[in-house]
Amino acid sequence: MFLSVSNLTKSYHTGIVTHVLKDVDLKMERGQIGVILGPSGSGKSTLMNIIGGVDRADGGTVEVGGERITDFNDNQLVEYRRERVGFVFQFYNLMPNLMVAENIEVVSNISKKPLKTDEVLSAVGLSDKKNRFPRELSGGEQQRVSIARAIVKNPKLLLCDEPTGALDLETSRGVLSLLQKVNAQFGTTILMITHNVAIAGMAHVVFRLRSGEVEEAAHNSEIIPAERIEW
Amino acid sequence: MVMVLRKRVWRMIKKNKGRYIGIVILILVGSLYFTAATGISTTLENMVVGFAEEYRQEDLTFSTDKPIQDIAALEEESGALIEAYRQYDVKLPNGELRLLSPGTKVNIPAVTSGRGLENPGDILLDPHFCQTQGLTIGGQIELNGKTFRIVGTMAVPNYVYIIKNLRDVLPTSGFGIGIVSGADLSAFPEASNEAVTVYGARFQDRKNIDAQTTKLHGLLSQKGYSLSEWLDSENNKRVSMPWGNISSMKSMSFPVATAFFLLSCLIVGVMIMRTVKSDGVVIGTLYAQGYRRRELTRHYMTIPVLLSAVGGLAGTLLALPCVRPVVNSMLASYILPDKGNTFSPLNLALAVLVPVALIGLSSFLAIRRILRKTAVDLMKGDEQKAKVNFIERALRLDRLQFNTKFRIREQVRSIPRLLFLVLGVSAASMILLFGFTYNYSMDVVMDKGSITRYQYPLEYNFKEIQNLQERAVPKGAEPYNALRCYPEGRESVEFYLVGMEPDSIGFKVNDMQGNALSRDQVNISSPLASRLKLTEGDTIRFVNKLDGKSYSLAIDGIVEAYGEQFVYMPFDEFNRMTGQPVGSYSTVLSSHEIDFDESLLSGVMDARNPEAYEDLNALTTLIVTSVTALAVLIAVIILFLVTSLMIDENRNTISLLKIFGYRGKEVTNLILNSSTPAVFVGFWLGLPFMLAFGNVLYGYVAEITNMLIPMTVNPLYVLISFALIFAVYEITKRLCGRKLAKISMSEALSELLGRSQYTPTNLKKSYHFFVPSINRQRKSMYNN
Repeated sequence: MFLSVSNLTKSYHTGIVTHVLKDVDLKMERGQIGVILGPSGSGKSTLMNIIGGVDRADGGTVEVGGERITDFNDNQLVEYRRERVGFVFQFYNLMPNLMVAENIEVVSNISKKPLKTDEVLSAVGLSDKKNRFPRELSGGEQQRVSIARAIVKNPKLLLCDEPTGALDLETSRGVLSLLQKVNAQFGTTILMITHNVAIAGMAHVVFRLRSGEVEEAAHNSEIIPAERIEW
Repeated sequence: MVMVLRKRVWRMIKKNKGRYIGIVILILVGSLYFTAATGISTTLENMVVGFAEEYRQEDLTFSTDKPIQDIAALEEESGALIEAYRQYDVKLPNGELRLLSPGTKVNIPAVTSGRGLENPGDILLDPHFCQTQGLTIGGQIELNGKTFRIVGTMAVPNYVYIIKNLRDVLPTSGFGIGIVSGADLSAFPEASNEAVTVYGARFQDRKNIDAQTTKLHGLLSQKGYSLSEWLDSENNKRVSMPWGNISSMKSMSFPVATAFFLLSCLIVGVMIMRTVKSDGVVIGTLYAQGYRRRELTRHYMTIPVLLSAVGGLAGTLLALPCVRPVVNSMLASYILPDKGNTFSPLNLALAVLVPVALIGLSSFLAIRRILRKTAVDLMKGDEQKAKVNFIERALRLDRLQFNTKFRIREQVRSIPRLLFLVLGVSAASMILLFGFTYNYSMDVVMDKGSITRYQYPLEYNFKEIQNLQERAVPKGAEPYNALRCYPEGRESVEFYLVGMEPDSIGFKVNDMQGNALSRDQVNISSPLASRLKLTEGDTIRFVNKLDGKSYSLAIDGIVEAYGEQFVYMPFDEFNRMTGQPVGSYSTVLSSHEIDFDESLLSGVMDARNPEAYEDLNALTTLIVTSVTALAVLIAVIILFLVTSLMIDENRNTISLLKIFGYRGKEVTNLILNSSTPAVFVGFWLGLPFMLAFGNVLYGYVAEITNMLIPMTVNPLYVLISFALIFAVYEITKRLCGRKLAKISMSEALSELLGRSQYTPTNLKKSYHFFVPSINRQRKSMYNN
């Protein structure tokens, strides 16, 4: 099992105790695409953050590629984020004062064995825009840069937080298609948060989260190509 | 203002307390320095000028070969009050006391403690003498067998700085003055022979003192009196020393304080402007909610006005107790009635109101500019952030390493911020370099100036002009003759015209290259040549200050000098030109001590121990120390403010870098070290700024103090300043490094959510906005 989340719990204490995650279990094989569905406040982002090593759980374990990251200290978590996990954000989070290629170099700069920037740009179809600033790109193109930035370190796990949340249908299809391509080309395991049920069709495994609990974990027998997704 | 907005003001201040504390300190220091500097000079001026006016300080002192017969007639003719007072020196076992008769028209003594003279046998003493001799009011002192009762201490306008002889430079140890009644003075049996009558004159018309002095000199000469020890108050150290200090204080402190004050206001104004600008999204939101421009302007004006008022007021209040110690240190050297501290209400008001007005104005302009935009434009704050300027667009950095590229882009991200940093560091460096350079220039004046010019270290000044035929000068000594003159049309530029023998070796007279100049020609000192813009071959036209006669001389050489203003010419030619008998001299310069009759001398200068003159530099040291401390403080605050601003403007980037796996040191290296080239450039820009500022200021000082200090830049001090600025930069980075470390990874994530608040389709994310405390808790957990 590549990703294994067992009995994960997380609460916030602010006078009142809010249980954000309650004994969450989640498993994914290497090279799969997983989708976490759920309404606002269901704990999707918290779960994603713990898996990404930017937050800590109160209890339970998370294992990625055989390593229990919930036991990692801060330095190990930095190393984990640096080499093994990539992030794609809903609003791209590109650095506005860096050109496209430079935004990708932000990550390749600290990676031990990064892919070549040009190679990654070519993979996301933006070779001709490497010297543009983010502002000069469309939303879809900016998300492609964000994906390129995430995959340049050749991570084993790619975490995507609403990657199409800010995009129109056509552009979203393009971005999702790119993620499928990355999954196929680099063998990257992808875990995606979305509230868009239609996207679930392109995933191998779908987790429904409600009030901090996994309500359902379903395996798709048929994977729909992103181009055919309708919503 | 709406109550809820008022609450927000406090929260905004609390959120960025480090920055606002820095701003308050900057304003506070500006006001403090301004109030203290003006307070010190006003207090001293009030003491010195007030004393001079109230107790009628003399404009002139002189002695005559015979008593002036009809003083009243002379007073009428000359328009001066003339007081003849007697003085008699009494030797004591461990000192010497000069007894003076009390002046009634001029140089009236002021009782500073105890009471005035009432009975025979009463004596008033100068407080320093009392202190050094262990005497107290109510006690007694025995003088040449007569016992006097000490009834009080006093200050006399013509002995504010107590030196024994008129031409002395330093006070004589154990020497003091006392006032006794004329009858008591005459009662000393020896007094009839040894007491000396000295005249003090004060002109009724307080304008054109020089012209009136010349007229009085002419009248006395016409009446057949032979004059000796003729000295105007400007050149009488007993009177002029504190005036010189006030001039120095005013000329150095006031412009520096004002410049610093305005600089701090400017820096804070820029900071506030950027803070308001960065709050554009909130302004747009409030605007959209129906707030009026006036309400928003008032809301955003609250912080700068509050900060500047608090800083200005605190600085002003803190300055009040700072004045006294400095004034006391001055009073330790001078005898003046202590009139307490004097503060000009205008200056106090300026210290509080100028920062409020300047900072308020800059904030007002910034807010109005922002409010000109529509609410929609303001709410698109991110779009503004995403904009790239022309420099960023023009930069092609493909071949550079990523870290270098990142740092360059980080710096050019905001041109105003970059300019602010560069110019701020320049300003701090300029002040620092100025402090060091001024100090070094004064050191050079002390090291290479008048004291070290003496190859023969002893200078004997005579009360009356001597003649070589009557009083020959022994071997190892040389005669000089000198006059006080001023260039035609520039009375403020006084200098000595000195006649020296052609084979003179008593003074070093070298040209700018260090080669000895001939003494048998006319040589001018370089500071005087510089002030009068004269070179070799030019002619200097000047007026003898004593009698108003004009002369002109062609200049043959320029003497390397530091601060000194003189013209050397051959001895015989000097006497011929000024109409004095051949062989006339006023001074003897000697390699060894000569046993002249003390009564003939008006002063002896001993240059064998130059360190003894260093105390005269105490005020400069004080100014330099305070200027240097201020510069370091400015540097700290500017660097801290800009660095903290940079961190705030990069919170999202820093947070993202952490998410991507950058370690704390790597983030610090990328963000904080990006300012290094700007600090470097800022420092080196400070050097030409300092030279330009220094030249203007030194020229201004020269006009007031009649002394052109050569501005000498010492490379060692430049390096020390450089090291100091970079040390401050490193410390600031460490301080800000903590702030940077506190930025959590969740900020970038919250930023994502934050953007969605204005997007109806993303309202699902509102969970995070309604549970802010959870977000806060998360942030603390995300800290890495």
